[in-house]
Amino acid sequence: MNARGWLRGAVPPRTLFVAALILVVASLTVGPVVMLLLGSFSRGLGALGTFTLAKYIAAYSDPSLPRVLLNTVLFTLGSALFSTVLGTFLAYLSVRTNIPLKRAFSILPLIPMMFPHVLFAAAWIILLNPTNGILNQWLRVLLGTSWGPLNIYSLGGMIFLEGLLDLPVTFMVISPALYSFDISLEEASRVSGASNVRTLMKITLPMLRPAILAAFMLAVIRSLAAFAVPQMIGIPGRIQVLTTYVYRVISVGWSPDYGRAAALGVIVLVSAISLILLYRYLTSASERFVTVTGKGFRPTVVNLGRLRYLFFGIVAVLFCVLIVIPALTLGYMSFLPYTVMPGSRALTLFSLANWNAVLQDRIAIRSIGNTALLAVGGATLGVLLSVFIAYVLVKTKGRATSLLDSLVFLSFSFPGLIIGVGFMWFLIRTPIYATLWALLVAYIGTYLPYGVRPLTSAFIQVHHDLEDSSRVCGAGFLGTLRRVTVPLIAPGVLSAWVLMAAMFVRELSVSAVLARPGSEVLSVQIMRYAYDGLWGRVSALGILMIGLSASLVIVANIVKGRLSSVN
Amino acid sequence: MKLVRSRLFTALVCLLVVAFAAWGQADVNAAKAEGKVTFYANITAIEPVLAAFASTYGFNAEYVRVATDKFIPTVLTEFQAGKLLADVVQGPLPILQILKDQGVLGSYVSPNASLYPEWALDEDGVIQLFGIEYVCILYNTELLAAHEVPTSYLDLANPKWRDKLLMPDPTVHATTISWLVALKEEVFESEADWVQWLRGIAANRPLYVASFGPTPDPIARGERVLGISMPKYIITKAPAPLGWANVTEGLFGSPRAIAIVKNPRHPEAAKLFIDFWLSDVSMKLLADKVGEYVLYEGIYPPVSGIDQTVVRPIRDLSDEEIQTWSQFFAGIFK
Repeated sequence: MNARGWLRGAVPPRTLFVAALILVVASLTVGPVVMLLLGSFSRGLGALGTFTLAKYIAAYSDPSLPRVLLNTVLFTLGSALFSTVLGTFLAYLSVRTNIPLKRAFSILPLIPMMFPHVLFAAAWIILLNPTNGILNQWLRVLLGTSWGPLNIYSLGGMIFLEGLLDLPVTFMVISPALYSFDISLEEASRVSGASNVRTLMKITLPMLRPAILAAFMLAVIRSLAAFAVPQMIGIPGRIQVLTTYVYRVISVGWSPDYGRAAALGVIVLVSAISLILLYRYLTSASERFVTVTGKGFRPTVVNLGRLRYLFFGIVAVLFCVLIVIPALTLGYMSFLPYTVMPGSRALTLFSLANWNAVLQDRIAIRSIGNTALLAVGGATLGVLLSVFIAYVLVKTKGRATSLLDSLVFLSFSFPGLIIGVGFMWFLIRTPIYATLWALLVAYIGTYLPYGVRPLTSAFIQVHHDLEDSSRVCGAGFLGTLRRVTVPLIAPGVLSAWVLMAAMFVRELSVSAVLARPGSEVLSVQIMRYAYDGLWGRVSALGILMIGLSASLVIVANIVKGRLSSVN
Repeated sequence: MKLVRSRLFTALVCLLVVAFAAWGQADVNAAKAEGKVTFYANITAIEPVLAAFASTYGFNAEYVRVATDKFIPTVLTEFQAGKLLADVVQGPLPILQILKDQGVLGSYVSPNASLYPEWALDEDGVIQLFGIEYVCILYNTELLAAHEVPTSYLDLANPKWRDKLLMPDPTVHATTISWLVALKEEVFESEADWVQWLRGIAANRPLYVASFGPTPDPIARGERVLGISMPKYIITKAPAPLGWANVTEGLFGSPRAIAIVKNPRHPEAAKLFIDFWLSDVSMKLLADKVGEYVLYEGIYPPVSGIDQTVVRPIRDLSDEEIQTWSQFFAGIFK
């Protein structure tokens, strides 16, 4: 018997498959983190040097760190809670109720995901800065005050903005779970005399626990890694969180010590892995959350009655805040040479100069093509891998799956500011360095949770009876996955694809380090303009970026609409 | 006899300089055959220079903008792995000094180096300074009448600027830290005066931003009236209502430097690019289009009055010094 035959005979195919998957995921995520950890224990500025604990001692003995950590906890939990509550509310209204224009509301929450975060924050500074923010000026006239009254440069302001920016993630994780919802439990509740609200609180939301927890967990990790809002709002507000603290560590001086920054990143890594373990514990009895069985699973629409117009009003206002105001600000800034308060003077300054400059920039044009390629190719490969990973995480229990789950989050858990350097230290030893392939590998390695989490919560809802029936009929593992399981979770697959594609369009932390001539991407071009304060050009290129993301979301939604529709 | 000897000596020196320059001069045809040059730089908005280079020589200078905090890790990592893509690097002088100490840089004296002050070229012919990242008090010309504009840095501590001032975070931004320390050394008579001045600024509750890039917009739209920023934004943000305070102490800034790397992939193209970068064409573009203060004699940015003021390079601070001052400022600018 040759080695392959022995392997087949001695090791079950499922174990082999899990081992192979661990190997693939590890090759994508372990390298950069190991390089950063080595750097954190090494003397000097590189990844490899003589052993030292000095960087940990320096990082954790700073007396200002406890305050930074407290701010980080408040900021992270506050924004994650805000985005999860809002995401659940909007997902429920858009999927399960008869709210007017519900199809539009199923797409609109995704739009903030397409905004470059620096521009989103810049737009809100113009609206809510305490000196001459437009909304503040109106409020002052109304209230008769001379200062404020609202101050975007505050912890509340940071939580508000980060929560809004994380909303698409929570919405995208929760809404597929609502699409694939078994109505029998809700019907049983109603037959037993429960009202719609009671059914929602006692049946629907508890059944959605894996999805809600997954959304909350992603939002926490995203907020932990967030930089644009802490930088633009937190620095003026003198509110330091972990990412701006890390930024300080690597900015003070000419030769930044990424090893010391990595030592700080270990806090985030440990927090993320703890969250993953907590999530696995809270969803360990996954049978309780099965909502898709062989009995049919199309969810019914809850009639809101007269309240549908009230909810419509609330959601419409929310979307104005979330999309219309920042989008208008963005469009407005793209026609101006500098930021001018709206008025007659601004009209005299309107021109196409920023658009001409951007469209004549050959690197900007090349970066649009590269970004589109990375978004479509990267998201497709990423989702394919995520389907296998999520399936294994849900259907297989054991230490190997726990390891796989942790590996998925490894790169994602490190602050974005430093993970790019980890990837550089790692990929420099490979032939793909300085090519688009390097970006593709780094993107998938870093943002794998965006594919895996929505798919995990979707897989949890699929009863194993369906797969067993398929196998009884002679289908193999892959055949069952392709013909039965994946079609049942199609909304989750598309959500994961959209999340990854939109993330790849906007990705900056890895790209800023790895993009080289020929592999430039949009976000790096935008940052080039932003460094020089050319907000008009940033806005023009940002609008092109939003256009690219919107095209991807529209195509995905057309496909989604064909695959599943709610009666 | 003495005179003849002296003239002979001068002629010999001139001959040597010309010969040295000719020996080091780029071979244009060989550069064109190499087909490209890769330029890692910290300076932004240099597209007009790159376009002029491409139209003059028919091949591109590939520009990679590397942020200050990633400059050393990126270049050193690539260099140590034998994969340095850059042929030419540009950055603040301290960064290039570190790269020189690590053996990353090569030596090339451009024939155009003679058009710059003698002190702009280091003694080994490795690092060439070409400009100064000059810092000023920038103000909103619509919100501040001419007689209210500060005439000295000392004015920034005046309580009338409370909640009207803006500056890059002095606990983080290395250039601002170096600039504040330079004022201590160049402007103030005693450290106590300087500290008192710093406390005055802190008491005015300045709005902090991450770097110089975000400084002009809040001033232009009136969120703040004045701030520590750069005069170049008067050009790049035109027609924004921005002006610079022509203070009696003159302006200070970090020197901007350029160098060829050791064993570049495109050696002739790299030399040609440095020659072009240091030419009057390039420096005029940098001054006119980007508002840069360049060291090429007689070329000034079109910022009113800038040719009448003194712009001085500041002392390089080591990383240790910057970290020490950062902690010191953290105690003042809370």
